[in-house]
Amino acid sequence: MCKLKISFYTISVIFLSACEKEISISDPGNLVPKTVEQDQSLPYISVNGTQFHAETFGNPNDPMVVFLHGGPGADYRNGLNAQQLADNGYFMVFFDQRGCGLSKRHNKDSYSIQLLFDDLAAVIAHYRNSPDQKIFLFGHSWGAIVATGYINKYPERIQGVILAEPGGLTWDDIEKYNEKSKKNGLFTEATSNILNVDQFITGKDNQHEILDYKLGLLSPFGYKKDNEEGVEGASPFWRNGAAILAGLLDIGERDGYDFTTNLSQYTTNVLLLYSENNTSYGSQIAVEEASKFPNSQVAKINDTGHEMIYFKWNSVYPIVLNYLNSLK
Amino acid sequence: MKTIIISSMAFFMAISIYSQNINWRGLTTEQKHIANLNIGLDYGTTIGLGYGYQLNTKIPIVLNLEFSVPFGEKLMDDFKTKIGGNIKLYEYNGITASATIQGVFRRYGNELVRLLNFGSDMSVMVGYYKPKWYTAGEVGFDKAIVTHFKHSDLYKENYPQVQDGWYEPATGGNFYYGLQGGYSFKKSDVYLRVGKLLQEDFKTSPMLPFYSQLGYNIRF
Repeated sequence: MCKLKISFYTISVIFLSACEKEISISDPGNLVPKTVEQDQSLPYISVNGTQFHAETFGNPNDPMVVFLHGGPGADYRNGLNAQQLADNGYFMVFFDQRGCGLSKRHNKDSYSIQLLFDDLAAVIAHYRNSPDQKIFLFGHSWGAIVATGYINKYPERIQGVILAEPGGLTWDDIEKYNEKSKKNGLFTEATSNILNVDQFITGKDNQHEILDYKLGLLSPFGYKKDNEEGVEGASPFWRNGAAILAGLLDIGERDGYDFTTNLSQYTTNVLLLYSENNTSYGSQIAVEEASKFPNSQVAKINDTGHEMIYFKWNSVYPIVLNYLNSLK
Repeated sequence: MKTIIISSMAFFMAISIYSQNINWRGLTTEQKHIANLNIGLDYGTTIGLGYGYQLNTKIPIVLNLEFSVPFGEKLMDDFKTKIGGNIKLYEYNGITASATIQGVFRRYGNELVRLLNFGSDMSVMVGYYKPKWYTAGEVGFDKAIVTHFKHSDLYKENYPQVQDGWYEPATGGNFYYGLQGGYSFKKSDVYLRVGKLLQEDFKTSPMLPFYSQLGYNIRF
C-alpha cells in the first residue's frame, strides 16, 4: 500500500509539472501553419471570392507557366524546383489551390470541379499582362488532372500543357490508380499508423486545424518502405487540406469525372511525364493517357518515383524546358 | 486541466475492475485469477494480454489490467493499456446488465509525432448468461481526454513553429456498439466481440469503422 501511495504521488508530481503549458488543439498555428487569412504577412492574391497563397518568379511579361500541385489537398511547396524555369524566360506562377496549403480554408460542401476551373482562370487573369501572353500549365499528379480538365473545357485558352503522372483522367481511372498505388498489408506498421491515430484525434467537419493536422500525420504512408509509387522519402509541405480532399472525393463518388470528352479539340502537343519507379503508373498508363490527346509526347524520368519534380528535378528540367521552348 | 489530471490519477488508482469479457455465470468464487489473450481489430490489427483478479465481495468484482499493441515492424511505438471497473447493475434469470469504466493510457508514434494520451472508456452491456455460454450487446464511448504531442525533427523542418506539449480540450472520442458472445468449458472461455465505431460527431467513422476481438480466458 505504501508503494502504491508513493507511485501515486510520484506520477501526480510528474503530471502536474507537465501542466504548465496547456495548448488548444483547434487554435490556429499550434499544429499546422496559419493560412493567408490568418497571417497577412504571407504572399497572397484575392480572386474569385477567396484568398490564394501565391508566389511568382521571373519577368511578368514572359510566357506564363502556372504550376498546379498535387493532392487534392496538397500544396506547391515541393514543386518549387520548377521556379528554375524563370531563369529561362518564363514567368512562373505558383499558388496553393482553394482550401489547400496556406490558402484560405472553405467548408467541404463548397467545392466543385467548376469552381477549381474558375479559380485557375482567375489566377491566370490576375497575373496576365496582355492577351498575347502565352499561358502554359504544368500539373503534377492531381494538378495534372485539373490541368487536363481545364483544357478539356477550355481548349483555346492554353498554349501548352505538361502533365506529370496524372493517375487517371476519369474518376474510374483515378480510383483504379489509387487502389494500385495505396495498397498495403493489414499487419504492417504503415497501416497501423494510419488507422491507430483515429483513437487519439477526431475532428468535426468545421474543425479544420484538427482535420488538416490529422491528414498530415498520414503523409508518411506515401513514402513508406517499398511504396508502389516509388517515392524516395519525405518532401516538404505546408498543410494538407482535409476539407477539399473530402469534398472532391464526395463529388467523384457521387458524380464522377471525365476530363477526356473534349480533348480532341486540343491539338497542341502535350508533354506527359512518368517515372521509372512508380509501378502503379508506368509506361502503359502513360501511353494510354497520352493517346487521349491528338498530339502528345511521353517522357520517362529514370531513377525516381511519383515525386519526380522534387527528387529528380535535374532530370525533369531539361525535358520540360525543351518542350516549353518548342512552343514559346 | 490540473483538475482533470488529478481526477484521472485518482480514478486510475481507486477503481476496481471487472473484465469486459467474462461469463459471469461460469465464474466461480474460488477462481481468483483470470488470464486473457486476445487478437482483433481495434483501430488496426492488435494483439493483447490481460490479467484479472477476483475480490472476495458480495457482488463479483475483478481487478484487471489490459495491454495491447498493434501489429507492425516497430513493436512498442504504439500501445494501449487499460485499467478499469465493472459493476453488475441487474441480474434476473440469467439476464445481466453491467457497466464498465476504464482508464486508458496509450501511445502513438510515427515519423512525424509521438502522442501520449490519457483517456477513458465507458460501456454498458446487457446480455443473457448461462454457465456454458453467453451473448450480450454493448454500447460504449472511448474518449481521448488529454494528449501530449512531441513532434519529430522531420515535422519541425516542415513547420518549426509547431507547439509541443499537453493539448486540451479532449482531442478525440469515438462511440462503439456491437455484440459479444462466448463459450465456456472447464476453466476456459472463448469469446468474440464485433461492432461498429462512430466518431463523437455522430457522422464520421474512423478509417477502420468496425472492431472485433477474439479472445481466450483461463480461470484458476
